[in-house]
Amino acid sequence: MPAPILYVRNLKKYYPIFGGILKRRVASVKAVDGVSLRINEGECFGLVGESGCGKTTLGKTILRILKPDGGNIFFDIPQDIIEEIISLEEKNPKSDRLKKLRKQYDAATFSGRKLLQLRRKMQIVYQDPTTSLDPRMFVKDIVAEPLIAQGIAKGEKAKNMVIEILKKVGLNESHLYRFPHEFSGGQRQRISIARALVCKPKFVVLDEPTSAVDVSVRAQLLKLFKDLQKEFNLTYLFISHDLSVVECISDRVAIMYLGKIVEVAPSSAIFKNPLHPYSQALISSVPIPDPTKRRNREPLRGEVPSPVNPPSGCRFHPRCPIAMDVCKKEQPELLEIEKDHYVACFALVRR
Amino acid sequence: MENYLIEVRDLVVRFYTYAGVVEALDRVNLKIKPGEILGLVGETGCGKSVTSLSILRLVPPPGKIEGGKILFNKDGKIIELMSLDTESMRRIRGKEVAMIFQEPRAYLNPVYTVEEQIGEVLLLHRREELLERALKTLEELGRNSSFESRIYRRMLRKPNSLITKIMAKFCSKKTLREEIHKEVVRLLKEVEIADPERVAKMYPFELSGGMAQRVVIAMALSSHPIMLIADEPTTNLDVTVQAQILHLIKQLRENYKSSILYITHDLGVVAELCDRVAVMYAGNIVEVADVYELFKNPLHPYTRGLLESIPRPDKEFKSIPGTVPNLINPPKGCRFHDRCHFAKTLCKSVKPKFIEVEKDHYVACHLYGDQ
Amino acid sequence: MKFKGRWDEFKVSMAPRIEEWKFILKRISESPLAVTGLAIIIGFVIIACLAPILAPPQGHDPFVVPQDVELAALTPNPTPPTTRHIFGTTDQQYDIYYACIWGTISAFRIGLTVVTITLVIGLILGTISAYYGGVIDEVLMRFTDIIIAFPGLVLAMALVIAFPTIMPLNVTLIAIILLFILLTASIILRLSKWILTASLLLIICIFINLYYPLILELNLSRLDKVLVSLSLVGWPSYARLIRSEVLRIKNEDFVEAAKVAGCSDLRIIVKHIWPNTIYSLLIVSTLDIGSIVLTAAALSFLGIGAEPNFADWGQIISRSRNWISRPELLVRNWHTFVIPGIFITLFVLGWNLLGDALRDVLDPMIRRR
Repeated sequence: MPAPILYVRNLKKYYPIFGGILKRRVASVKAVDGVSLRINEGECFGLVGESGCGKTTLGKTILRILKPDGGNIFFDIPQDIIEEIISLEEKNPKSDRLKKLRKQYDAATFSGRKLLQLRRKMQIVYQDPTTSLDPRMFVKDIVAEPLIAQGIAKGEKAKNMVIEILKKVGLNESHLYRFPHEFSGGQRQRISIARALVCKPKFVVLDEPTSAVDVSVRAQLLKLFKDLQKEFNLTYLFISHDLSVVECISDRVAIMYLGKIVEVAPSSAIFKNPLHPYSQALISSVPIPDPTKRRNREPLRGEVPSPVNPPSGCRFHPRCPIAMDVCKKEQPELLEIEKDHYVACFALVRR
Repeated sequence: MENYLIEVRDLVVRFYTYAGVVEALDRVNLKIKPGEILGLVGETGCGKSVTSLSILRLVPPPGKIEGGKILFNKDGKIIELMSLDTESMRRIRGKEVAMIFQEPRAYLNPVYTVEEQIGEVLLLHRREELLERALKTLEELGRNSSFESRIYRRMLRKPNSLITKIMAKFCSKKTLREEIHKEVVRLLKEVEIADPERVAKMYPFELSGGMAQRVVIAMALSSHPIMLIADEPTTNLDVTVQAQILHLIKQLRENYKSSILYITHDLGVVAELCDRVAVMYAGNIVEVADVYELFKNPLHPYTRGLLESIPRPDKEFKSIPGTVPNLINPPKGCRFHDRCHFAKTLCKSVKPKFIEVEKDHYVACHLYGDQ
Repeated sequence: MKFKGRWDEFKVSMAPRIEEWKFILKRISESPLAVTGLAIIIGFVIIACLAPILAPPQGHDPFVVPQDVELAALTPNPTPPTTRHIFGTTDQQYDIYYACIWGTISAFRIGLTVVTITLVIGLILGTISAYYGGVIDEVLMRFTDIIIAFPGLVLAMALVIAFPTIMPLNVTLIAIILLFILLTASIILRLSKWILTASLLLIICIFINLYYPLILELNLSRLDKVLVSLSLVGWPSYARLIRSEVLRIKNEDFVEAAKVAGCSDLRIIVKHIWPNTIYSLLIVSTLDIGSIVLTAAALSFLGIGAEPNFADWGQIISRSRNWISRPELLVRNWHTFVIPGIFITLFVLGWNLLGDALRDVLDPMIRRR
């Protein structure tokens, strides 16, 4: 099996909450609580969940915008090294060899120059095109920034590379010396995309890139994403809460709830046949644009619990229609229930 | 003459900005029947929010309503909302026609609790009823002649006198507050908030998005309005919470029989919820039809474009080419013509009339009717 | 050929910024108060530029106010305006007209110098404090609090008196202190090359100091002492202002995007954070120029400002102190304090109006986005 381009293992990101007079850490928001993912090269991996589930935090932690509190991130590392690190962690976690290997291969520990090298290969496109572009910089400077910051190109050469990438996203040379506020939302998002792609990365995290734009612009942007993926052989992590968009653009999809992944499967499998009770509730909540297919189902009860004090055991058990006793005590693992279809649920394993 | 609750006729709204005059609404025609849910669909900037604000005459400056009529059918009497004075309009706002908005926490005052805010609305519109209830409670307790009772009776008789107001300041009005509390809890239960006693004492920042939206709905419904305007209330919410709120709105329509003008850009929500749909583009209503009819047989090219651009798996991404026109110098003729597949020379110069092409199915397009 | 291409490119790249300035000027021109303020300032600038022509200096130092010796022999009292002395004279017959004209240059000098220095100090400290947060923020802000705790004018007075006229500067010691600051800054900003260079230079300086201590003597005029003390006292408000602005910008998406692109901290601060935060600083500093000049005039009036006979508005007014004790003297010697007073008032008014106008214009421009 070829090594996936990104292998995230048991990633954790906690936000401490300080309280009391001495401002000690009294609790933690467990935004990402032990997430493992494999993303293959050239695929579009969808990450779905509601607000507060940790999907944006996961995306930013993978990119090392945030520093993880535990776990490994292997980006473009050969399979045998990964296996060696994993086996060392299980058998001999304090060994020097492990420290050396992690420093060199595990992106979770990178800093300084190695982090800068990583930045060149991983980029992000933000949700809100208004705040993600510096309002006082020209489009040319915004898009050229990664080139200059990483020392890839300067001056005239950088400008030519900028023009080239702007053409690919549907803008042109006349847009170089204008400010972001002179453009529409869709065009600003294209500038954002150009900035992400100018240094030719391999992996791009798309953090809800179509949520802040209109419906008609959405389709244009999605088409652009697909075309660019083919042309540059990119791998996407497409984070979104809009399931209909994810269904159309992703190859495989993972569903997150309260900091944990509950189901991972190919896109068609997960939308036609969701297995986890939360996935089923989520997918059936999406309104279908066809009045003849109206459902009169009872919607899922309750609200998403706070990530500061998540429920014990399986995070979903208080709202789950098929919860059993064991669900209150232990956390289920992601297991392959059907071919390539992983679910974390005790009730399904029993079958 | 059919029975309409609100009829908007030839509404014109302009915004006078530094950059120029924005022709936001260009002779908008809309009719809302009693007890129905009318969906108003369109993209950002097409004027749907401005239309709804105009009904309540809340258009913010530099906007001005410059033409048209808004007719409100109240118990058989037809009132022209544009001609009302401020005081009468105030009595309609919140009481007969209520409105809820997109970001609930932006419309809740952060320094007052939920109970205090809903209480404020209750006192505004249902003051007499609450005072009488308080008096009845006091009567049952045998405190008919106490100071508090006298204050309440005076507040019912002479609500505007200065002496009443001064005397009221000396009274703790405990019974009235309890009545308000009971009513608030009842309203919160009605919008399906679990543990309404606890939520009543919370501040807006403690509420989640879904709960805050329910609180705002409770505030809107507290005065039993005959019409509710909902301006994209579920756009910012998670999809499961949105499903809950839509379910709630459907139930409330059953219980209260109010009409709802539901503004959204999500066609899925429209299909789930609405009875009739009006499609808006660049300040014009381009199509109005029954919801089944609209999805099965869209007539206007813009409606067709919208329906086709809904992302579907296994299908190519289709979108409407071009962008929304700048309303400072809107195109003459049909405002959609530069993006329309079927545009003819006529479309560039003559504005299409809004006509009934099939039964109850209205379109503004030169492709239909004899124009 | 290439040059023409470059020139066209330059024009295209400058066009949007020129558009912005045109917009600012148009908005300013729409408000009569703003135009008045601008006109006043421009008027003063013209006076300052034409000073040698309007009031030709006598003697080698133009800032010494000339004394009418003939008249001085006749009477020590201030004389009202005549054709020879347009604004009259102070006691000992110093020409008020000359003092007011050259005082304009002094006023600009005081205002611009102090504001620039305080701006720079406040900018650096405030940015570092806000951007890095944590312990650095706490330490710097408490230091700022200490400075604010002193009453500004009183502290300035104390500093003016404390500074010696001839200040001995141990050059190597100063070099060591500067290098120390450079070292700390490069450690904070993680500029590894600079750390090495700074440490090397530091060691060399220390060696030199051991064998050949260099001492310079700096001649500080009294006005320079005023400038220095006002600068040392005035920076905390800028530091705090910049700190709150940087805190606001620091968490925006585009700063994070710059980090993801691989920008160093220094680049982010200089290219992203500062351009977005200077507007409020600009407004506060124009308002401040007026108040700095006023403070300096107050210090001069109290006698601890500029030297006697120095061409400075406050100094001239301070000469009128003894001559307005009784009502009839007040009326007779009105020219000794009213005329310079008008100059000060107009100057401060002009800057205040300009500052207000800038605030009105820049606020919607920022909000326009």
